[in-house]
Amino acid sequence: LDVKTSKYNALNFLPMNLFEQFQRLANAYFLFLLFLQLIPQISSLAWYTTVVPLMVVLSITAVKDAIDDMVKCWHSGIQGSLSCRIVTEKWMNVQVGDIIKLENNQIVTADILLLSSSEPYSLTYIETAELDGETNLKVKQAISVTSEMEDNLKLLSAFDGEVRCESPNNKLDKFTGILMYKGKNYLLNHDRLILRGCVIRNTDWCYGLVIFTGPDTKVMQNSGKSTFKRTHIDHLMNVLVLWIFLFLGSMCFLLAVGHYIWENNKGYYFQDYLPWEDYVTSSVFSATLIFWSYFIILNTMVPISLYVSVEIIRLGNSFYINWDQKMFYEPKNTPAQARTTTLNEELGQVKYVFSDKTGTLTQNIMIFNKCSINGMVYGMHVFLFSLKKVDFSYNKLADPKFSFYDKTLVEAVKKGNHWVHLFFLSLSLCHTVISEEKVEGELVYQAQSPDEGALVTAARNFGFVFRSRTSETIMVVEMGKMRIYQLLAILDFNNVRKRMSVIVRTPENRILLFCKGADTILCKLLHPSCGSLKDITMDHLDDFASDGLRTLMVAYRELDSAFFQDWSKKHSEACLSLENRENKISIVYEEIERDLMLLGATAIEDKLQDGVPETILTLNKAKIKIWVLTGDKQETAVNIAYACNIFEDEMDEIFIVEGNNDETVGGELRSAREKMKPDSLLESDPVNSYLATKPQPPFKIPEEVPNGSYGLIINGYSLAHALEGNLELELLRTACMCKGVICCRMTPLQKAQVVELVKKYKKAVTLAIGDGANDVSMIKVAHIGVGISGQEGMQAMLNSDYAFSQFRYLQRLLLVHGRWSYNRMCKFLSYFFYKNFAFTLVHVWYAFYSGFSAQTVYDTWFITFYNLVYTSLPVLGLSLFDQDVNETWSLRFPELYEPGQHNLYFNKKEFVKCLLHGIYSSFVLFFIPMGTVYNSVRKDGKEISDYQSFSLIVQTSLLCVVTMQVLSGREEGKEGGKIALETTYWTMISHVFTWGSLGFYFCILFFLYSDGLCLFFPDTFQFLGVARNTLNLPQMWLSVVLSMILCMLPVVGYQFLKPLFWPIIDRIHHCMRHPLPYPIRTKLKHTASRRSAYAFSHKQGFGALITSGKTMKAKLPKKNSFPYKR
Amino acid sequence: MKRKSQDESRLPDNTAVKQQQLPAFRLQLSANEILSGFFATGVFCLGMGIILLLSAKSISEVEINYTEKCASCAKLREDATHFDKECNCSISFYLPQKMEGNVYLYYKLYGFYQNLYRYILSRSNIQLVGTDLKDVRKCAPFKTSENGLPIAPCGAIANSIFNDTIVLLYNFNSSTHIKVPMVSSETAWWTDKYVKFQNPTYQNLSSAFAGTAKPPNWPKPVYELDEEDPGNNGFINDDFIVWMRTAAFPTFKKLYRRLHRIGNFTEGLPAGSYSFIINYNFPVSRFQGQKAVVLSTLTWSGGSSLFLGLAYLVTGAVTLLASFSMMAIHLKLKERKTFFLQS
Repeated sequence: LDVKTSKYNALNFLPMNLFEQFQRLANAYFLFLLFLQLIPQISSLAWYTTVVPLMVVLSITAVKDAIDDMVKCWHSGIQGSLSCRIVTEKWMNVQVGDIIKLENNQIVTADILLLSSSEPYSLTYIETAELDGETNLKVKQAISVTSEMEDNLKLLSAFDGEVRCESPNNKLDKFTGILMYKGKNYLLNHDRLILRGCVIRNTDWCYGLVIFTGPDTKVMQNSGKSTFKRTHIDHLMNVLVLWIFLFLGSMCFLLAVGHYIWENNKGYYFQDYLPWEDYVTSSVFSATLIFWSYFIILNTMVPISLYVSVEIIRLGNSFYINWDQKMFYEPKNTPAQARTTTLNEELGQVKYVFSDKTGTLTQNIMIFNKCSINGMVYGMHVFLFSLKKVDFSYNKLADPKFSFYDKTLVEAVKKGNHWVHLFFLSLSLCHTVISEEKVEGELVYQAQSPDEGALVTAARNFGFVFRSRTSETIMVVEMGKMRIYQLLAILDFNNVRKRMSVIVRTPENRILLFCKGADTILCKLLHPSCGSLKDITMDHLDDFASDGLRTLMVAYRELDSAFFQDWSKKHSEACLSLENRENKISIVYEEIERDLMLLGATAIEDKLQDGVPETILTLNKAKIKIWVLTGDKQETAVNIAYACNIFEDEMDEIFIVEGNNDETVGGELRSAREKMKPDSLLESDPVNSYLATKPQPPFKIPEEVPNGSYGLIINGYSLAHALEGNLELELLRTACMCKGVICCRMTPLQKAQVVELVKKYKKAVTLAIGDGANDVSMIKVAHIGVGISGQEGMQAMLNSDYAFSQFRYLQRLLLVHGRWSYNRMCKFLSYFFYKNFAFTLVHVWYAFYSGFSAQTVYDTWFITFYNLVYTSLPVLGLSLFDQDVNETWSLRFPELYEPGQHNLYFNKKEFVKCLLHGIYSSFVLFFIPMGTVYNSVRKDGKEISDYQSFSLIVQTSLLCVVTMQVLSGREEGKEGGKIALETTYWTMISHVFTWGSLGFYFCILFFLYSDGLCLFFPDTFQFLGVARNTLNLPQMWLSVVLSMILCMLPVVGYQFLKPLFWPIIDRIHHCMRHPLPYPIRTKLKHTASRRSAYAFSHKQGFGALITSGKTMKAKLPKKNSFPYKR
Repeated sequence: MKRKSQDESRLPDNTAVKQQQLPAFRLQLSANEILSGFFATGVFCLGMGIILLLSAKSISEVEINYTEKCASCAKLREDATHFDKECNCSISFYLPQKMEGNVYLYYKLYGFYQNLYRYILSRSNIQLVGTDLKDVRKCAPFKTSENGLPIAPCGAIANSIFNDTIVLLYNFNSSTHIKVPMVSSETAWWTDKYVKFQNPTYQNLSSAFAGTAKPPNWPKPVYELDEEDPGNNGFINDDFIVWMRTAAFPTFKKLYRRLHRIGNFTEGLPAGSYSFIINYNFPVSRFQGQKAVVLSTLTWSGGSSLFLGLAYLVTGAVTLLASFSMMAIHLKLKERKTFFLQS
């Protein structure tokens, strides 16, 4: 268990945190500035102008870091509490070589070599849903030498075997090692190893030897590197800060040149009044000093509070996610959780969603939904009748959780309909489920596949209760009467046969074969006399399939005793044969599995989570592409893909890539692409010709438009080929043209590779969502990782950036929270850059009138407070409360999400606009006050053109303009004549922040310029009385108003004219003109005949185990009657 | 181990802030509102401009640049060794119309940089407030005299004080020259005169300044600036305070005297012939600076500066023009836009 320990403690917090903070470029820059300011020769600003903001910024960040660290600590605490009860130690203390005891339903958190267990033959059942998404039980078995120790602690503690095994690796299905014990070597393989992430099921206890712990475990090896995620905006911001540096440098250079010229022409001769400093020998030297002086003055162009403000905004928007009631899942009592607070705006830019299937799209619950028995459909039209559950009270052994809505079936059972009885009898007999009855009457089924479990449970509720089994008998309670069937043979499932059968001897001594399997296979094996029934049933199957249900056909055959004896002999021969055994067995199986009499068909619903199809439809409308990456098998994945709208019947074609080598896979991919876009194989295709130029690796493949809507299915082993070298681009181009992509049988690492591939060449924002340990790798790799929480495993959640418990919350996360976060962040950034440019560039204009002497326009205190106090709240209000459209609109018009994907609201172009706007504003803000005070006097004759009054006028105008600008500014394409100002959404808080800030400015002004303060520190506060003497001037207010008009009108005019001249489709208002559409409702309807195959695990069933008797409980007296065969 | 909070609901609070449902006012302006807003702004600016221009026009102002006219004095002052020689210069002018009401006399400097960074800093507010005359830390490069005494008032600003004396004579007739009565009181801000600038508290001003040196450019120490009026002597001398309030731009005018409206001058300055007698002390020719005297009357909007009026007028005109063209564009392109949206 890798317990994350907290990074800081009380002692090392300050030095460590400061060290970390100064590693950030911006903070280091300000530290550098601070040192520059301490050099008196070039210091052009009082030291506190940098120190105060820097201190505030550092302390805010430090507090945030401390909280983050505490939260992290708390989370690891949770992880610790999850760990299981152990003989002596906590999981975190477990080391390689320890022997530990695991109990039923515990989550294993280390890779463990199984030594012994409570079950016979040291079998241990585990569930691996966390690892591969499969929920069926798997069996592990200890080697015989160790299993003899059982739970004898003495023996166990004396165990001194030595294990040699492979080094830690990420192969989940392979393990090789040797156990050296008592002088002998025993071969260890994958069957002996219980991996971290598994859950012990159906086994009271087991002992194991810890082989790998923590990061060495196979799951963790699969989970990929944990990288610090940064958003696109972060990267953009860094680039822009660099640009600003360059701009700053060139500005300073120009001003230094100006200073040089001025000193030569004027300054040199002005020395009577202001002699040069002793150390200034020439105007060149003076200009060099001035370069640095201006570097200090203009430092505010690189906004010190940018990063901290961005973090505050993200934090605020993360809290909204945590607080959202509409993302709270009542049944599990889990609210949504933003575990990372640095990625919010990226949620508004997602282009690709990679989703796990099991547990994410589906609930991982199989429900017996419909059936067709002897040509009669049951369970249809459930919605037309009242949704009343069928009453199963007549059956004491019924599972109370099971629900069925069609009464007619129960009536048929009660009436004793022969076919119905036979149908359910077959369901209760033909399976490899293991039952557990700890309390009398409370049956728990352990099924190898959830489908089987569902079928047996259905039979149980309708009165054919599978109660227990031995290796030779099956005990069934038939309508309350106990009957024991002799189990003669299990003809187990495999992927080729796609069916399974059991042969039983009834108490009446009839020999019956029951078979269930994929309809495509089974209908060929039917007796010709079933012809008409077959047709009817096939019709029903079509109906079922089109409802997205998984179907199975059920049939039986009565065998005569002699035939069976004969066959049985052949069977045992085949079983004993050494060569080609598999083949021989299946031939034998085929001999008996024919001339079957059709009983009916079942339809099982792989229950999707609520709202999944609607969510996917909405996300599709928002032009988000959804890829399903699952460890599960193809059939189930495709079935789910149809059920949740990823594939549609209207699709032109669905390509399946299942080649086994590079050439076939490449060929399949190419031919698929040729169908979708015939020219894309020609050399003249722009993408091809672009690739032909062999661009350097970080390049972007442009979007290609196919000529229809297509789907792609690719298998894990084909994917392994496709991901290699030159095929990865083929794969990417083909897959990205498809509307839906399903990748099945994926290993966790492959999931990550696929995400990486898209990330690398598409430069789009990716989001991975999953619930299990097998999703951790892709969750970590994707730009945004979302964990479905509230399930049993916590791995995915603990590694995710956002966690909630239902897939459907994804649309809210992206379309509402993501969109708002993105919009707010963009508005914030453009405003923030603008306000700093407008603020700083005034100094540049002033340089031309002050001999380029690095004289600032503003009072030093204004410079100190500008970003931190005067302008921070309005912009925070904007970026925490603004809603350009409300949540209903964002959800109903997913199209509104698109601008974010193309990063339209803040990019380099927008930045340049901000710069130009800032230059214009600073021009107005300098020259209007200058013209006003120039040569002007107040009405009592005293002049107003003194420096301090001018300062006050400029800074007041600046603040008014900049605050007004919060209300105005950029909005993408408004409908003709309708504009909304920047803060389109005025909450009370926005009002308080905006007007409060402005009011606060004047209060501070009077305080800073008050007699008392200035007399107390005459050299620090020099602006005594300026507020009183200047704020009552009509000229000053006229100048402020004029500045505001001149700064605002062009912006308003631009916004008014822009949509008229460039009539891009205005998303918001275009949408708003139409009445609110109804929320998306989808119906599961599929016309094409599409049958899901036999929905078992892709592994061999339990049949062999059952017949070998290994599954029988130790408590059963028959334990010794089954010799242990190796 | 189960979490304690298991049974209590973790449902987030249903508050307006947390659910982002704060009642809000959504500001949206229609085309008509914007256009009328533009129009109104234009009219307002135009009106304001006209008012400001009219009021500025009502002012009468006389500006006489005496850099050229006193060239000989300027020449003399270029050589620092002649500092003790007096040089007077007389400039006559004719006032065709009388200047009614309060008349103010300014001196105006061109090309004098009172806003250089080092210049502005070069003063000691602690000294000027009278608490510690020895505090000259910030006064570089005029901290101490050659013999090591702290300069009072120290610093480049104080040292460079404008020290021409300007006297206005009214030439009643060719032989009678009446000195126009001028006062220097109320030429500085009240806060400067009574708060920011204070003499050290001593009975005798000269002894208060004992142990300090006069600024090098000054002919006499600070406590001899106005020996007749103790309320105008030392640091609280009006000319000194006015000078110490540094100008924002290299061209500036500073209030020098106000007309004392008595006798012939109760109504203001009558029309007629006048002459300025200027005691030329302040050298500007070295750095190509210029000096001027300005006589002016005032209105509510202050001085004769036309800038604000013109700026408002131009802004108003442009805004009106813009609103008309925007209306035209709006009407013309509205059709096109709807077409685009439909397609």
